[in-house]
Amino acid sequence: MKKTIVLMVVILAATHSFAQKFYTKNGLISFYSKSSMEDITADNNEVLSVINTTTGDLQFSVLNTGFHFKKALMEEHFNENYMESDKYPKAIFKGKITNLSAVNFAKDGSYTVTVTGPLTMHGVTNTVTADGTVTIKNGSISATSKFKIKLADYEISIPSVVKNNIAEIVDVTVSCNYPNKM
Amino acid sequence: MGKKLKIVIAVIVGAAIIGGVAAWLMWNKPHQDVKDATAIQTTAIDLYNSFLKDSAAAKTTYTNEVVEVSGEVTQVNHNQQNQSVVLLKTTTPDAAINCTMEDTAAIIKPGETIHIKGICNGYNSGDADMGIPGDVLLIRCYKTN
Repeated sequence: MKKTIVLMVVILAATHSFAQKFYTKNGLISFYSKSSMEDITADNNEVLSVINTTTGDLQFSVLNTGFHFKKALMEEHFNENYMESDKYPKAIFKGKITNLSAVNFAKDGSYTVTVTGPLTMHGVTNTVTADGTVTIKNGSISATSKFKIKLADYEISIPSVVKNNIAEIVDVTVSCNYPNKM
Repeated sequence: MGKKLKIVIAVIVGAAIIGGVAAWLMWNKPHQDVKDATAIQTTAIDLYNSFLKDSAAAKTTYTNEVVEVSGEVTQVNHNQQNQSVVLLKTTTPDAAINCTMEDTAAIIKPGETIHIKGICNGYNSGDADMGIPGDVLLIRCYKTN
């Protein structure tokens, strides 16, 4: 009987330690549009992201109205004309680290990963594949990635009058620390 | 040059100058002054619960509006851009009013009850499958007491 209880406790502890999910509600997503007329950047510091170190599932969810621009007018145009944030308030990515075995979550270091999955934005879903880095330092997990998005792929149309002001392809940077464990 | 032509040219030049100035002012319009804006008053618990009970109504009332929230500080963290992030207590475990501070002078400590004014960015629902509750987000925040 005693042995059975000990075995059950060991199994429960092992299950708990392996099924680990880490999350943040204050990750950062930035984008950068470079064009002949001007460079535009915007940051959103309220990104919800969850990483499952057992399955490699990696998710991001962000409210479009949280992107902060240098100019107020850019922010208005972004939400009202391009992203239509009232109609499509969120951008969501639900992907997976495809080379999870390359990451040793128990050992400090920087690990190059590839993440792939559907990105839904402006009511359109496309599969995105991006390289990134998972860093383990003193048991804390952080992740970064840079990739490009073609606005036309998400049916975001730019009026011809500002065609020279906004790039057709924008650079997206993701940077998250995962302090919360489940 | 005839008098009529001079008037037409003057009108065109005048309109161009006025149009140019208006466009310049519009382009350089400053962001909303959150610190001195009139705010909707509420508490952290009421604000969070209003999004849980009727998110459409809460969205209409609060989203993109300046809101002043009173509540108990549970955590003070820093984001990737080194801004303070203050979490105000709600009645839902692990859920908060998530306030990203523009105010760099405020000294805020966990456990104290404070008033924070910021732009309500809405409710970012968490992940039901993973049991993570969402937060109500306030951005460009200032401590007001």
